[in-house]
Amino acid sequence: MFFAQLVANSVIAGALYTLITLGFNLIYGATKFTNMAHGAVAAMGAYGVFFATREGWGLPLSIVAGVLVAGIVGVITDRLVFSPLRKKKARASVFVIASLGIFALLQSILSITFGAQFWPLLPPGTGRVFDIAGASVTEVQLWILGSAVAASGILFILLKFTIFGKVIRALSDDEEVAKMLGINTDRMIGVIFFLGSMLAGLAGILSGFDTGVQPTMGLFLLLEGAVSSIVGGIGSLVGGILGAFLLGFVENFGIWFIASQWKGAIAFGLLTIFLIFRPRGIMGKD
Amino acid sequence: MSYLLHLATFFGIYAILGVSLNLLIGYTGLVWIAHAATFAVGAYAGALFATKLALNFFLAMLLAMLVAGILGSLTGWIFSRLGGDYYMLASVSWNYIVVSVLINWESLTNGPLGISGIPKPSLGELSFAEPTKFFLLTLVLLGIVYAAARFITNSSFGRVIKAIREDEQAAKVFGYNTLMYKVAISGMGAAMAGIAGVLLASYIGFVDPSSFDVMESIFILAIVVVGGFANIRGSLVGALALVLLPELLRFAGFPAEIAAHVRLGLYGLALILFMLYRPQGIIGEYKF
Repeated sequence: MFFAQLVANSVIAGALYTLITLGFNLIYGATKFTNMAHGAVAAMGAYGVFFATREGWGLPLSIVAGVLVAGIVGVITDRLVFSPLRKKKARASVFVIASLGIFALLQSILSITFGAQFWPLLPPGTGRVFDIAGASVTEVQLWILGSAVAASGILFILLKFTIFGKVIRALSDDEEVAKMLGINTDRMIGVIFFLGSMLAGLAGILSGFDTGVQPTMGLFLLLEGAVSSIVGGIGSLVGGILGAFLLGFVENFGIWFIASQWKGAIAFGLLTIFLIFRPRGIMGKD
Repeated sequence: MSYLLHLATFFGIYAILGVSLNLLIGYTGLVWIAHAATFAVGAYAGALFATKLALNFFLAMLLAMLVAGILGSLTGWIFSRLGGDYYMLASVSWNYIVVSVLINWESLTNGPLGISGIPKPSLGELSFAEPTKFFLLTLVLLGIVYAAARFITNSSFGRVIKAIREDEQAAKVFGYNTLMYKVAISGMGAAMAGIAGVLLASYIGFVDPSSFDVMESIFILAIVVVGGFANIRGSLVGALALVLLPELLRFAGFPAEIAAHVRLGLYGLALILFMLYRPQGIIGEYKF
């Protein structure tokens, strides 16, 4: 019973982290810097849904709006900040510090507009609760799982079998060579920001459905996503998925032994262990 | 007048934080986004030594510097083997862990309620409880930190850490044990931040975990960025600018609750704009 519940919780947490880490890795692959604004973009998506449902939009339309809001915010950060920095050939640390600035700015915009307090994104008790092999799983949690599977599937097909995917992979391998081959790398990176940020938005929305929204939610999502991608091997999509599920399991089984308020600390303990003993991650190349 | 003294004291505390973070980020190139955690370690250690063990402020301060310094060297030893982004992410995680420990280790830290009743500094007959005297004490400590930072960065040690920032491989080729240099500077920076922590704890008389989250680290980072990387005097300018900025918001008539968020937004905006248009900061010498 208890064991089944822990497995279910781990899988759902892993699915949520997968969504955030896929976008994070996609952007990292193309730009080679750690985008700290990614979590705040996820929060923007969740607040997009919060705003739309408050305005009386239906749920499906609100979700589409929220995902688009996240995607557009992501593109705006690229156009206004990262693209000019790329043109100046700034150091990676400059990108990281600028992205921390964006993170702080977006979080403050959310706090000013919607208040710093916590809001449920769905009325409590929405949706059915299923009993799966002794574990109780809510409808929202199944949506999280389904979306993660669908998103990774679509992304995989997109990257593996389309011209667009080939371009992205070329860009991730070597931006200079891609540019020489006539690819408009700057615009492509904009498209990648749009895709990655939409994935972040979806993660933010689903996390909001599961546990509610708060302007500070972005930091936690970002750190979980970042831990997943480092554990999996930063920039590797498959590694990111493995890392996300490993993190989900370690966290949820960890709180079997230690009180649940240490969940965050467990995640970063795992990160530290990986950083010391295997800094390239599970799938990373040396 | 007391309001100005209050601002001046805060300026002193944040200037110490800015100067010490600049040693890591500006001089050594270690993007450490956990200075608030180090600040917290100093504040809590000082508070605990002064309340639970009833030690004299100055003794508590020395011990807190020691605790912060050892912890700083240890995290430096673990994290600074990692390149760029990994180091930065590990530091953000470290900040998160420290706050989580402060919240959850209730028997030691009193959890979210924090520690209150932290005494003001005194030395024999001389008490620094009065705001003017506390400010002067802060100023003297800032002076010591400033002088120490100048001494460190102008010494041969300082030249090696700058070489590490520019090209760590090359520094290694020249036979320097770069890891040890990074551990040493991490410890020194942390011990200095410990002073700021003890000052804050004693000045407010109270510490709680909420003052030391990642956003506070970003604020301290903004001090360094605005003042300029690898410029000790710049960090003083940065601290002055960023401590005064929220006061302007107060005069602009923002309600207190909104003002805190607006302030965070402005710090974020400052980071973005400086990175885009003036990465060397107001008076920085080094273009990061």
